[in-house]
Amino acid sequence: MRVRVFGNYTTGAPVAIDCASFVESMARFTKLLVANRGEIALRIIRSARVFGLKTVAVYSAADANSAHVVAADEAILIGPAEAAKSYLNIAAIVDATKQSGADAIHPGYGFLSERPEFARAAADAQIVFVGPRPDVMAALGNKVAARRIAVTAGVPVVPGIETAEISAARDFAAQVNYPILIKAAAGGGGRGMRVVAEASQLETALEAAAREAAAAFGDGRIFIEKYLAHPRHVEIQILGDEHGSVIALGERDCSIQRRHQKIVEESPAPGLSNAMRVKMIDAALKLARAAHYTNAGTVEFLVEGDNFYFLEVNARLQVEHPVTEMRFGCDLVCDQLRIASGGKVSEPAAPRGVAIECRINAEDPEHDFRPATGTVLHLSVPSGPGVRFDSHLTRGAEVTPWYDGLLGKLIGYGANREEARGRLVNALGELALLGVTNNAAYLRDIIASDQFRDAKLSTHFIDEFFSRWKIGQSEIDAAIVAALITASNQQLENAALPQNSGKGRSPWDALNNFELWGSRR
Amino acid sequence: MKLTRAGDPQEINAEVIARDGRRIRVRIGDREIAAEFTPNTDGGGILAIDGRRYPIFGARRKDSILVSVGPASFEFKPAEAATRRRARGLAAAEITAPMPGKVLKVLVHDGDLVEAGQPLVVIEAMKMETTLAAESAAVVKHVRVEEGQSVDHGAVLIELSPPPASSGRESSPRDP
Repeated sequence: MRVRVFGNYTTGAPVAIDCASFVESMARFTKLLVANRGEIALRIIRSARVFGLKTVAVYSAADANSAHVVAADEAILIGPAEAAKSYLNIAAIVDATKQSGADAIHPGYGFLSERPEFARAAADAQIVFVGPRPDVMAALGNKVAARRIAVTAGVPVVPGIETAEISAARDFAAQVNYPILIKAAAGGGGRGMRVVAEASQLETALEAAAREAAAAFGDGRIFIEKYLAHPRHVEIQILGDEHGSVIALGERDCSIQRRHQKIVEESPAPGLSNAMRVKMIDAALKLARAAHYTNAGTVEFLVEGDNFYFLEVNARLQVEHPVTEMRFGCDLVCDQLRIASGGKVSEPAAPRGVAIECRINAEDPEHDFRPATGTVLHLSVPSGPGVRFDSHLTRGAEVTPWYDGLLGKLIGYGANREEARGRLVNALGELALLGVTNNAAYLRDIIASDQFRDAKLSTHFIDEFFSRWKIGQSEIDAAIVAALITASNQQLENAALPQNSGKGRSPWDALNNFELWGSRR
Repeated sequence: MKLTRAGDPQEINAEVIARDGRRIRVRIGDREIAAEFTPNTDGGGILAIDGRRYPIFGARRKDSILVSVGPASFEFKPAEAATRRRARGLAAAEITAPMPGKVLKVLVHDGDLVEAGQPLVVIEAMKMETTLAAESAAVVKHVRVEEGQSVDHGAVLIELSPPPASSGRESSPRDP
């Protein structure tokens, strides 16, 4: 694989490594504002540095001590904790960009990343938006319009309609038979998505989906489609440039989902025939060309048997992009920046090995994945060959209820699937995260399971194999012994620090409410 | 010492029988467990039980103990409060917000008789809807929140009182 170096190692000038195959790019911008938070903001800042850019973080009042704020060259407070008034506040973010002198915005994923009006507001203010053009985003962001583009391009789709009308929904369901799937017409990520098994549940589900869609995306429009019985979720990573070239960087299998949100992703998709892969990549490229797509995007498909159906395009970087990076040896954020600078894409080198990612979430897998909050009191981070941990967590970090509960992504890479799996299982075993209930042990048991080893993948994987999961009795016993040791520690009895009222806390206060045994002698 | 695991009403009766340096004998229910604990420099330690070694960390909060065993995290609370409630025929006397969020729906009214598992209130936090249900049969004593209201962690949403002694399913005393 060809690797080029921009900049100068000896003078300490910014250095950029050309990781995917790019022909040339110009410096259209020098300072990047990252309109996001958490692990993705940190991850973008890291690549922007390598690309030779100055970085600006934005943050809400709830994130003042967050890792992305610390990592950036500058940080600007854009509003209170409520996302609607901070990370979803287009005016505040554009103002912050102007105020900091930044000339480009990277939206990350979630929040405003797929809102055409945000991309348009940036363009109107002469700011480079690192993503597709607003009109392309608008066309693909609307599921109905995206389907139309897909159909025109000859890409197979699942039967479906856009409506929030109960009568139209009933008629459609009668045509295609239950179960049907209800989801937000805007945005992805599984939010506002519901399976309706029978007619009696339809009205309630429609209402709740519209409410969640409005809350999550500021857009209550609803899309209803036939629910496939036993599909896999396979998606194609694409990169398009301004010069009309689009390339594909292989596929990712993201079948393992809970509440319709992905928790395990891998590349390549196990058992996917080369013929299918070629067909799917071809379909994704046809769609991307038909939409005049630029920058990074993902074309999602459902696969059942020898058939595949277009699901949607995510017009942004995906959460699970690292599995593609590991196999292709590239940096997709650098690629995005290079495309936004006018660079040209060309065919990538052949991918190598297998990468598996799992999402560490603040949630309780023993109790219906109930979201959890808390302060990180201890963190042991795994490392080693073929192990990557993308996370914004530090000791003292607070996980608040304001945003989604992604704590980090742990990726195992190996020459083959078993090596990748073994590394990921070991890495999950090395992870220790005290203070925030999370799904790391659950993920370890999934990755280590025979079902996952045998790649019995479908979007029902969790329902079929891991819905009644409980932590093992031997670990509960160890936990009880650990609790007794913790309870009986004399120093801790003496420490008896007052509980903080919760107002105006800093991470230091939060940590002072606790004491790890053995840490103070 | 009586403990409960967060989210699990089952009581755990556990006590230290003997401790000699690193060795510790613990009784959990009617089982005895021999463990060896070696503190580490990182504030945690290694707990060896039956030839398996678990990296553990622990911390005390005012009302609970947090521990991690490898990647698994646990929260334990003293069981006394739960025992008192159960004596009155209730799994919980109050439905509290498990996290700060917004009340989306209130599904019951003052005076309603509810069954175990019946949804009472739906709150939204961390971009997800969470339905809070009754853990045991009860009478809704007082609904303390309205739809649309923002609530803090631990805020009391609904007060419950024990169900009437009669075993039959009664209709709601509230007029429709």
